[in-house]
Amino acid sequence: MAAKDFRLDQRHATIEMDLFFHPKLRVEDFEAAAMPHFPDLHRTARLLAQDSTEAEDLVQEVYLEAWKSFHRFQTGTNCRAWLFKILFHRLHHFRRRWAKAAKMEALEGPEDQDGLIADTPVPQEIRDEDVLTALRKVPVEFREVVLLADVQEFSYKEIAEAMKLPLGTVMSRLSRGRKLLRQELAGVAHSYGITPAKDAPRAGESA
Amino acid sequence: MNVRNFDSPQCSRVRRYLDAYLSNELLVETTSDVLRHLESCEACSRELQARTRVRDALRKAVASQIAPEELRQSIHRRLTKTQPGFWGGSRQRTWAAALAGVVVVVLAGVIAQQWIRLRQGRRIVASVLALGVSDHLQCAIKGHNYPEIANPPEQLRQKLGPEYAGLLEVVQQKLPGFEVLEAHICSVQGSPRKYVHFITRGRGTILSVILTKSEGEQLPNGSRFVSGSSGRVSLYEAHLNGMNAAGFESKEYLGFVVSDLSRDTTLQIAGELAPPLKAALDAGSRSEARLDLDTFSFVRGATQP
Repeated sequence: MAAKDFRLDQRHATIEMDLFFHPKLRVEDFEAAAMPHFPDLHRTARLLAQDSTEAEDLVQEVYLEAWKSFHRFQTGTNCRAWLFKILFHRLHHFRRRWAKAAKMEALEGPEDQDGLIADTPVPQEIRDEDVLTALRKVPVEFREVVLLADVQEFSYKEIAEAMKLPLGTVMSRLSRGRKLLRQELAGVAHSYGITPAKDAPRAGESA
Repeated sequence: MNVRNFDSPQCSRVRRYLDAYLSNELLVETTSDVLRHLESCEACSRELQARTRVRDALRKAVASQIAPEELRQSIHRRLTKTQPGFWGGSRQRTWAAALAGVVVVVLAGVIAQQWIRLRQGRRIVASVLALGVSDHLQCAIKGHNYPEIANPPEQLRQKLGPEYAGLLEVVQQKLPGFEVLEAHICSVQGSPRKYVHFITRGRGTILSVILTKSEGEQLPNGSRFVSGSSGRVSLYEAHLNGMNAAGFESKEYLGFVVSDLSRDTTLQIAGELAPPLKAALDAGSRSEARLDLDTFSFVRGATQP
């Protein structure tokens, strides 16, 4: 923790140096543009980071990083997309430490086309916490695309830019991520006592 | 609940598009194709509904997470701390800049005023000290109204008259290394002003000690014009016509020490002379028996016979 603090403070010093040459920038202007996206950023970080402390560190770093490069940000452009881009940039730094690449490759595998799960019985009144638990079970590489597309409603292009991925990869990861989420939710549904339709293939058995 | 047309090529095609359709990423034509199929295909329609339901449940669940207010505050603090400048937040900085501007303008005004006053003060000092310098130059230097061998003290006392005779001793005592060659009452051509003039010699030059009634002339107040002081007597200094003059005031008189010695030496000599001379003059002015300077006859620009 001490090492992390030191790292943040170093960045802090760099930010001050950078801002020294851009004295016209006002922190109020930055906050007015960037802080409305704080809840969305935090929610996303919270679902992608390993724990709440890491999520908070992440969001804090995103804001300091964004403020540092605020002079490069053009007003009128999409501040939210810009912040998410920084978030994913930081997230990838964090993720290198996680070293989960092996698992990711295993899951990426060959594309399984259409969602062949018909009528997965997702309960109407499923609890939020169950949805979030199900989401956390989806590997992070897919989870993040689902979050960006389905919750934050970014376009494929914006996601591809934010995550520095090819458009095709975004599309396949989204498709796969949605499917994995539905499988997880089907598992929750099962625990609720809801079973899939008899003729329909069971979740996870498709493809 | 049943899977219908599940393997139909149409269904397969539409399901490939379903993710993009859900994300609103399809071209308009493709969207209408999908819509047309969905109207006629219950299975695909259900599939879309299921996916939409999952997405909506996910949105709702994620939105239910509350971002911690402390984190927001912490970010705000860190951002504010990185605001450049000495004044912290930029709003304060703007105000501070405005305030600094006002201060600068006011200060500039005050400084200009003080500078004008200082210049005026210096001009007054110079004009007052010019009285002494002009007498020294005219009477002592140009007029050379002094003998090579000092006049005897009795003669000088006589020339000075009873009112000023007592001052001779003070000058002699307080001017070590200087010999009083001459003392008299004189005036400068073109002015009725009278001067009590001691012409002395020492340090290789001629030095005048001159006293004259104030007659409305006054040295300015304020420490900025005072070049030195001795025994609570303020000393003023000016360099005029190649001469250094040091001046002081008593109740009714102005006193000058004028020579071509350095400024510091002149001030030092004046510092020794000023307090006893002032004391003697003030004591004299209290005396009822004192004589008025006007009662003495004088020769303009020349020593008294």
